[in-house]
Amino acid sequence: MSRFDREGVRHFTARQSVLAVAIVAAILLVLSGGSILSAADEEKPGVEKDLLHAVGKPGSTLADNPLGRASAKLTSNLSPDEKLDPSQSFAQTGTGAVTAGQIPPVTPSYFDPVELDDKAPPRQPLESLLVTGDSLSQPLDAELARRLTPEGIEVTRDAHVGTGISNASLADWGQLSAAQVAEHHPDAVVVFIGANEGYPMPGPDGKDVACCSPEWAAIYANRARQVITNYRQGEKAKVYWLTVPLPRDPARQRIASVVNQAVAVAAQPWRSQVRIVDTDEYFAPEGTYSDSIPVDGKDQIVRESDGIHLNDLGSSVLADHLLDRIDLDFTR
Amino acid sequence: MLFPTVEFAIFFPVVLALSWLLMPRQKLWKPYIIIASYVFYAAANPKFCLLLAGITLGNQAAAKLIAAAGTERRRKWITGVAVGLDLALLGVFKYYAFFVQDWADLLDSFHLGAPLPLLTIALPIGVSFFTFQAITYVVDVKRGDAEPASTTDVAIYLSFFPHLVAGPIVRASEFLPQLKAPRDPNKVAVGAGLALVGLGVIKKVLIADYLARVLVDPVFAVPQAYAAPDALLAAYGYAVQIYCDFSGYTDIAIGLALLMGFIFPQNFNRPYRATGFRDFWRRWHMTLSRFLRDYLYIPLGGSRGSRLFTYRNLMITMILGGLWHGAAWTFVLWGAFQGAALVTEHALDGRVGRRTPVWLRWFLTFNLVTFAWILFRSQNLGLFWDYLGRFFVSGPATLYTLPVLLAIIVVIGMQLLPERPMERLQVRLEQLNPALLAVMLAATILVVGATVPSQGVPPFIYFQF
Repeated sequence: MSRFDREGVRHFTARQSVLAVAIVAAILLVLSGGSILSAADEEKPGVEKDLLHAVGKPGSTLADNPLGRASAKLTSNLSPDEKLDPSQSFAQTGTGAVTAGQIPPVTPSYFDPVELDDKAPPRQPLESLLVTGDSLSQPLDAELARRLTPEGIEVTRDAHVGTGISNASLADWGQLSAAQVAEHHPDAVVVFIGANEGYPMPGPDGKDVACCSPEWAAIYANRARQVITNYRQGEKAKVYWLTVPLPRDPARQRIASVVNQAVAVAAQPWRSQVRIVDTDEYFAPEGTYSDSIPVDGKDQIVRESDGIHLNDLGSSVLADHLLDRIDLDFTR
Repeated sequence: MLFPTVEFAIFFPVVLALSWLLMPRQKLWKPYIIIASYVFYAAANPKFCLLLAGITLGNQAAAKLIAAAGTERRRKWITGVAVGLDLALLGVFKYYAFFVQDWADLLDSFHLGAPLPLLTIALPIGVSFFTFQAITYVVDVKRGDAEPASTTDVAIYLSFFPHLVAGPIVRASEFLPQLKAPRDPNKVAVGAGLALVGLGVIKKVLIADYLARVLVDPVFAVPQAYAAPDALLAAYGYAVQIYCDFSGYTDIAIGLALLMGFIFPQNFNRPYRATGFRDFWRRWHMTLSRFLRDYLYIPLGGSRGSRLFTYRNLMITMILGGLWHGAAWTFVLWGAFQGAALVTEHALDGRVGRRTPVWLRWFLTFNLVTFAWILFRSQNLGLFWDYLGRFFVSGPATLYTLPVLLAIIVVIGMQLLPERPMERLQVRLEQLNPALLAVMLAATILVVGATVPSQGVPPFIYFQF
């Protein structure tokens, strides 16, 4: 017999049960109603987002009261999130629209000396590496850390699961990337992001632009360029941006393709400093999705069951290729 | 849909109010609660609702056939087919990629091609739990412990959202009788329900997720970066994390069910005060333990035979119990370790057991359980060995912070305190006015919620099983 069946457990009525839960909901709404709207912003367009918006808008208004503000102030110090520089946010830096009539100059950094058969710059020792991105960067980050840490290289893993460059409500990668380099000053940065893209983004006129038009790609490229600029730290660091591996779902394939093209455009001005690592070269060499690829002479599963992420073996394969690429720029 | 999320905080009050409103009219309440549960489940992936419905209808058909069967032999045969199909389904979703890769590797070593396509299959959330519940229904009907219920009742039993995705594994014979009549609106354990929800939120968000973020995940991901002191701390940290994560989920599930008028069985009873492995399994994931005992160990013959026969049954039960947690050799070996510990305990019973002081038995059990958690948590066997290797590497203790130490000491210490005063304290809390408890719960959620990082609450560990 459960202890809840035994005599001695105080029973109440169903009405009190409903009332108690309503009290909890009401208090949360009055003191923290804004969080519903935040949750809505994190959703992709759909029924769930609409429902959260419908509840969140009045909730947000309700929470805008002295008690709500006091509660937010009291609990604000409990957040484990690092404080970010608001001036670096995508909203502050705008959509990067190029001034009409202005032709951006092409500089030598657009070219990789090696590809021009010129002398390669001397390789520098790799002392610190930042591996970041969304859930795509896991478990690659751990794989790289396991390989490089014993060599004395400081590997910082900073995955922000569920985030995306096109969705600044959950994490603003403009701010985040600035904070990361300010804290770690890495010699090289590995970026693997793109599993959660496709959100509408505000265009130059402030109106939301839906995925995946050229306008959307341009906004995405401008945001990615801002992130790259932060990671470059001037001329100090190399950036290895891994493209989104071809996903299984055709709808996601379209988004991945646009994201990859946008990143390639974003990185153009720094060809010798920002390396775009094409993951499809390894995981979808024939342009079609597959759960398995030949590894060590036999077919092996390299993808997770969601058809998006790489599994441990896939991450290990990618780490091999990535380290080969890093070794062209660094000694270790 | 996760329990500690904004979405669920909107979903539950609405569902609860309508549930009690419709409760007296069972013809309306039953379809309503099925729809609500399927909406809850569809939030994860709508496609898997078809699987849940399929399992419901398949097992209901089997139960009806069993009830109508004239002979015991026929009943056995139908039960065997139904359970076999349930396990086959579980096998396809959960173990296909695991076995097909190993099978392909084996054939490859003989230069034979892979007989099956190397595919990954998405794991439907909660499949291990509702499949096991479906098995208890069919077997309980066969054994005469439960009557075949209406299809609507079976659908509610398997899909009821508080236990749908991660248990506790409620037996058909425990749940179906609760559907025979409307739940008594004057007999609702509101205080207990609210207190359990609050306790669960604290365990999951404040303790388990915190320890995972600052201690456990970094060390288990890259053990090479840490020396013995940190590796030791992370092992104890994981023991606390997994307890708080899973028992926190269970507390919330039981609490929500109580608010709706339903009673679920207890799933945890201070497991880290166990003084032996048998004792541990009577306290840890109790509903899985009794499932394994009643639906696997005893049908295998249990202890009704020679010592060796009993040991064999213990090993089989625990290895399969390990494999139930996931498709990885680490889980198989974790199960084997548990089985070996039970066999050893069984073998030493009477001779050494009684002469060993209680504190020493507790100390050995707790540390061996914690050691086994390293195997359970490691991503693969290579990383497990890497982790063990760190115990022999001297170096600085970098992760010993006051909050981490407090979390570990308080959670383990609370389980070691005398049971009676703690129970009395809990009962007193549950007897408070529900309105006061509601205010306390809201304050808890606000404070605990403020500690959630911007990425949100990570899924419960047992969701992946």
